Amino acid sequence: MSPMNAAEALHRARAGLPGLLVLLALVAGLVSMISVAVSDHPPASQAQQVQQIAAGLHCPVCKDLSVADSPAPLAQQMRQEIAQKLRAGESAGQIRAGFVAAYGESVLMSPPRQGVAGAVYYLPLLVLAVGLITAFTLLRRWLRAPRPEPSGAGPPQLSATQRRAVARAVARLREEEPG
Amino acid sequence: MSGRVTRRRARLLAGVVAVVAVIVVLLMTGLGKDPSVIASPLVGRAAPNFTLPQLDGPPVTLAKLRGQIVVINFWASWCTECQVEQAALDQAWRRFRDSGVVVIGVDFEDSAGAARGYVRTDGVTYPVVADAGSKTALAYGLRGVPETFVVNSSGRIVNHVIGPVGGAALTSVINSMLTGAQ
Repeated sequence: MSPMNAAEALHRARAGLPGLLVLLALVAGLVSMISVAVSDHPPASQAQQVQQIAAGLHCPVCKDLSVADSPAPLAQQMRQEIAQKLRAGESAGQIRAGFVAAYGESVLMSPPRQGVAGAVYYLPLLVLAVGLITAFTLLRRWLRAPRPEPSGAGPPQLSATQRRAVARAVARLREEEPG
Repeated sequence: MSGRVTRRRARLLAGVVAVVAVIVVLLMTGLGKDPSVIASPLVGRAAPNFTLPQLDGPPVTLAKLRGQIVVINFWASWCTECQVEQAALDQAWRRFRDSGVVVIGVDFEDSAGAARGYVRTDGVTYPVVADAGSKTALAYGLRGVPETFVVNSSGRIVNHVIGPVGGAALTSVINSMLTGAQ
């Protein structure tokens, strides 16, 4: 590769780097989201089930603590209630719905997927899609940009000094032309 | 060429301004609200039923009080704010009990001995029940004490007060219910 080609390739690589980085970051985000979703296995024992449900509920008498983490007596009662309801055959969703009916959706540690609050789940996916489309468009534009002519085929590249020298020579020739 | 660049910049600026405007509006709508006050989703719904033992007396079942206005006050002997409202509750009980109004104190996370001592010393005259296990408190979505729920004669919760209930406000709610406004 000639020095000119190498410089051009380097320039092109630099121009496309932000798009590539965005693309890589988006793909990494997508992969991590999928891996989190896939690893969300249901717990085996009832104690684990209680722990998992309690971890998804705000302790109503605490600040920023889940029912699973809170030592407050009311949180303990909530854990006992969850265990009782599981023994009675209620599903995790039914138990959560029971607490939401009494406390409202603010009792949930994560916002619900329905309604306006559901935007927190869908908005990142939308941003991800827009980012992917943008990155793809940038990459395609970069790849389709007109390539420079191979060296030797086009006019020679001259420095400013060389161009001035040529201009002077041409002017001199014109002056010397008869008539 | 420069015209195209200017138009593109103008569009970009307009987009940024629009996004910032949406964020500012969203933030401003939340500024007037007190984040610590969370409205109970139970208001307007059927009051969860309970049967709880009185400290000194027979058990009280909410469903059996259908047709009467019921003021359910969650309190505890260790709660200093509960002492502030106790006189108002007692006054309402004495004033409206013959008009079909029942005031029930639900003792929350307390010992029976401490609760009895409080009732005796502070002269609580309305029925007081013990909520061992906090099952009723959880059914009512309790976030602390004191909290008061007013249930109408159809068994629906029509009013919810977080913190000490005021005498005038309670009287006003009960009067409006007795006159059929609620």
